[in-house]
Amino acid sequence: MNAPTRIHDLSIADLSVHSRAGPIVRDVSLSLQPGRPLTLLGESGSGKSLVAQAVMGTLPPELTASGAIRLDGADLIASTPDERRKRWGRAISLLPQEPWLALDPTMRIGPQVAEVHRFVRRQAAQRSETLAHENLRDVGLDHASALYPFQMSGGMCQRAAIAIAHAGGSGLLIVDEPTKGLDADLRDSVVARLIEEVDAGRLLLTITHDIGVARALGGTVGIMLEGRLVDHGPAEQVLMAPSHPYSQALLSADPRSWVRSAPVPSGDVMLAGRGLAKAFGDHTLFEDVDVEVRAGEIVSIVGPSGCGKTTLGNILLGLVEPDAGTVERRKDISLLRFQKLYQDPPAAFPPHQAIRKGLRDLVKLHRRRWDEVETLLARFQLQNALLDRLPGQISGGELQRFAILRALLLDPVFLFADEATSRLDPVSQKEVVDVLLEVARDTGLGVLLVTHDRALAEKISTRTVMLARRDT
Amino acid sequence: MRRFLLARLVQAGVVAVVVGTLCFVLMRVLPGDAAMRIAAGRYGPDAMIAGAAEKVRQELGLDQPWPVQFLEWLANLVRFDLGHSLVTGAPVIEELKVQLGASLWLAAAALLLSLLIGPAIGIVSGLRPNGWADRLGLAGSVTLRALPPFMLGLILMLVFAIWLGWLPPAGFGSWRELALPSLTLALGLAAVSSRVTREAIATVAKAPYFAFARHKGLPEAAVVRRHGLRNAAIPVVSYLGLQAIYLVEGVVVVESILAYPGIGHALVHAIVERDIPMVQGTALAMGLIFVAVTAGVDAASAWLDPRLRRA
Repeated sequence: MNAPTRIHDLSIADLSVHSRAGPIVRDVSLSLQPGRPLTLLGESGSGKSLVAQAVMGTLPPELTASGAIRLDGADLIASTPDERRKRWGRAISLLPQEPWLALDPTMRIGPQVAEVHRFVRRQAAQRSETLAHENLRDVGLDHASALYPFQMSGGMCQRAAIAIAHAGGSGLLIVDEPTKGLDADLRDSVVARLIEEVDAGRLLLTITHDIGVARALGGTVGIMLEGRLVDHGPAEQVLMAPSHPYSQALLSADPRSWVRSAPVPSGDVMLAGRGLAKAFGDHTLFEDVDVEVRAGEIVSIVGPSGCGKTTLGNILLGLVEPDAGTVERRKDISLLRFQKLYQDPPAAFPPHQAIRKGLRDLVKLHRRRWDEVETLLARFQLQNALLDRLPGQISGGELQRFAILRALLLDPVFLFADEATSRLDPVSQKEVVDVLLEVARDTGLGVLLVTHDRALAEKISTRTVMLARRDT
Repeated sequence: MRRFLLARLVQAGVVAVVVGTLCFVLMRVLPGDAAMRIAAGRYGPDAMIAGAAEKVRQELGLDQPWPVQFLEWLANLVRFDLGHSLVTGAPVIEELKVQLGASLWLAAAALLLSLLIGPAIGIVSGLRPNGWADRLGLAGSVTLRALPPFMLGLILMLVFAIWLGWLPPAGFGSWRELALPSLTLALGLAAVSSRVTREAIATVAKAPYFAFARHKGLPEAAVVRRHGLRNAAIPVVSYLGLQAIYLVEGVVVVESILAYPGIGHALVHAIVERDIPMVQGTALAMGLIFVAVTAGVDAASAWLDPRLRRA
């Protein structure tokens, strides 16, 4: 491993970020020293990523930063674009969100690491390859240099991105949502890797909405809300005894601190799968799985990504044919009353249509009454004004509640919630889950929840089906 | 690789049978007497035409029932014998060699010219979306593509042959005769390929891996060269495959207008003269070229994009 360029201090003083409409980050002051990682927690839109972008120097051109960011004395805000760019890779490295998207899909991993030695550190081609191999070996990828990103798992891509940061030898590592899209097991290994970086003497600034990550990293934690740093201090203190009401809400939204409240089944079996099996090509996802969902209960399917959870749910809905086994659905109930809730709310709404229009069309098509929409709006605490916005203009949590509302208009007896809260921040996740629990309890809706979050499943499901990943 | 080649061979066989059958059927259902047209094509229309037509009919077996004629053609095809032209009497394969050769020159020249114009404009437009180069490129592209090839051909002829007198308006022989037809085709091709390239470059420039390449510390030239061009080339190359269709369509029209003695020209004349073996042979050659072009595009795409090699 290249010894990182030593950086002793990153200090942010009264950082504000302004858009034309006004400030969106206000008076943030933080400091970061070796051996003590800094983690910024907050929901999307809280401004935590803007702080990271201001440090990196990648704020969009329509935003301006004021205040001071000093990296060992050098003022980053006052730097010219050229000076900023010279720091990239050399002094400051960015570990991107979803590294599988940030690696070039058409280039093998070896060259993607080697080019840093070649073009940033000006080494000869041969020497660059050797050094790249060492970087990959350091993160346990010595066999992977000939692989393309699509041939690697999410965790491997994450490690490849770290190898690229090592190659540049930078002393400050900015990590943006390192666990986005990774399941719980991988999350722990990513966090362990980041702690190694701190031990190697790098400064570590992590941006996340995952409280588990903040807790595991320790060091200093800052909590951001609406562009302000509302809570800041040693991790033990902020995460155990938060002082600000929002920090308290954020922490109590973590499924691990919920009180278990699984609904009790209130009726017959709505849907059952017996002896289900499915394989894609040579890869067997699962075999001989039995699952049934009764009215009013929440059944969870838990397992790592790639284990076939979503496929199992789709088989139960009749969207995918099983290789073996049968699905029993109540014959006297219309198929329309078996509904699905999607993982990514913005992808489940037409982007250029106001929400009201979509709901109105649905009401007309299925001869429902608009009153029902109004009742549900009140119940889900969705303001009427939101109806006239586009899906991209409201938060993910609100949109997912609209998705539930939309499904409920069809009077469903069964709802397949496919990772329905995994893209939401903890507070929104809690709100959506509360709505689901309430609906299951009151209407006798049977819910099948697919999730990779074991804690969440344990707290709210009547029963849990575990799937394991099978490696071929 | 062997499976890929085998699949393409099977595809070529299917194309041959389908194209042959379609031509056969279409030529039968055209109104008018084929023997009469052929006689006219051979001897010119004169007073003796009815008698000549009768002789032609017997000589060529046009009085046979059509299934017999069709099976005969198929049997010949299997022996790689495309038959003889009904009008000139020369083997179709010889006629094709001359005319196809000429067309391939034209197509290659057009494609090469369009590659010089289209992607270059596309890259400049795509690196600065909505800049002045992009807007100018869009306006030019819309104008050129809105003109049908025959109109564009006539305009170029007027400008370069009649007004400026730089190039001959029609004919065949040297690059001077090749210039106008190939430019006509190339402008139509470049009009669209520049926009496809622009989109590809703009998409890649927004991709997370492009940003990450910058954040790694790579100089801008290395970012574009190592992470931009290859990724942007993937959709452009697939699109070039689609342009082959335009080229086939364009060759027929442009050759007729500019009296260029290629395969498109031959096809139009063969249809007018009801020279069925020529029509079938020409259409077959075009179909097979199409299979070859798509095979080439697929191979190039697989070379560019490792994800396609997975299967």
